[in-house]
Amino acid sequence: MRLIISRVCRPQNPRVCISASSRRHYAFQASGGAFLKVFNSRTKWLQKERSALDVEASRQSDYLKDEIAARVCERLLDVKRHFSRVLDLGANSCNIARALTREDLDQSPDAPPSPPLANKITQLVAAESSESLLYRDADEPFNKDLQMTRVVLNDEETLPFDAASFDMVMSSMSLHWINDLPGMLAQINNVLKPDCPFIGAMLGGDTLFELRTSLQLAEQERRGGISPHVSPLADVRDVGGLLQRAGFKMLTVDVEDIVVDYPDMFALMQDLQHMGESNAVLGREMGPIGRDVLLAGNAIYKELHGNEDGTIPATFRIIHMIGWRESADQPKPLARGSGEVNLKDILENKP
Amino acid sequence: MQSKTRPIQRFAAAASKCSAQAAVYGKCIVEDYNSVHKDKCVKEFVKLKDCYLAAAKGHK
Repeated sequence: MRLIISRVCRPQNPRVCISASSRRHYAFQASGGAFLKVFNSRTKWLQKERSALDVEASRQSDYLKDEIAARVCERLLDVKRHFSRVLDLGANSCNIARALTREDLDQSPDAPPSPPLANKITQLVAAESSESLLYRDADEPFNKDLQMTRVVLNDEETLPFDAASFDMVMSSMSLHWINDLPGMLAQINNVLKPDCPFIGAMLGGDTLFELRTSLQLAEQERRGGISPHVSPLADVRDVGGLLQRAGFKMLTVDVEDIVVDYPDMFALMQDLQHMGESNAVLGREMGPIGRDVLLAGNAIYKELHGNEDGTIPATFRIIHMIGWRESADQPKPLARGSGEVNLKDILENKP
Repeated sequence: MQSKTRPIQRFAAAASKCSAQAAVYGKCIVEDYNSVHKDKCVKEFVKLKDCYLAAAKGHK
């Protein structure tokens, strides 16, 4: 019998020790399905806190999160609606808020300039487990352009919000660190009002496959075995099923690859560290990667994946997802067999 | 704090001086990356490491 118990103790309130009862599962439990803990959430929290301490470096390596937040917010241009209360789940350094206050987010040249999307939103609730990261940019000018509340989550896997209390939930670049993704999506569905959207993006699929393969080869050759250095990530085909299982309707799932070039593997790893996106897989080998492996990995990365100009590419695959909370007045697919026009006739008679 | 170079940066600077040896080592691995085993390219790696150690000394 396996019993997985997780206790999350946070130093800022040492007396509160949250036993995450929702995360206790016996292996034979009938309901709820099997649940594996993959990430060490305390490690992740520490990494985020540490990354926010070096404000300059942290801001400099925000390029990826800012870009992805902008792409997430861009999707809002298609929703003709006003949102009174919006949740930004896993806000990092409030990248979504920054993107919302930017003017002319849709950069296509033929589209007319658009006002900042913050106009469509009355109140934004930014929830994040790392306090330092969440408040890192609290004094920046963009805070004034948007009514924003910051909420520090004690446990990033449990949402402390009432059911049906948000008109939209957004999430950018944090769901890939959630252990119980199906449970998280169900909670998101729960806090949404009926007929309200969830718009999210996370890393998935082949993200950082170059780094993964190079370090694997290097460790295999230098030490004769491998330890996980890049997270296992959800694939596109999983995400559709997960959203459906969580009860979302009218799903849209799509992928985008962002390829960033770095001078060498060390620059990439350093930037990941400043982003707070370093390895937090449970069961990884503790302590830093040995110098031999780093030296070998860098050489293999350049040889196997390197660009002609000597730089190395790093692929970030972003999985975008949109799902709507079910509602009675939503368009639904018609019943099977109720079609009156034969599609075959139309397609065959087409000139 | 800012002016202090992190060990990883010194490491990267020294490693960048050895691109020739790194390429030889990389080629040895990539040549047949489906059957990599421990010390498959130990000779090439020792050369790379020697170069790195020399470069790292020069930096101090």
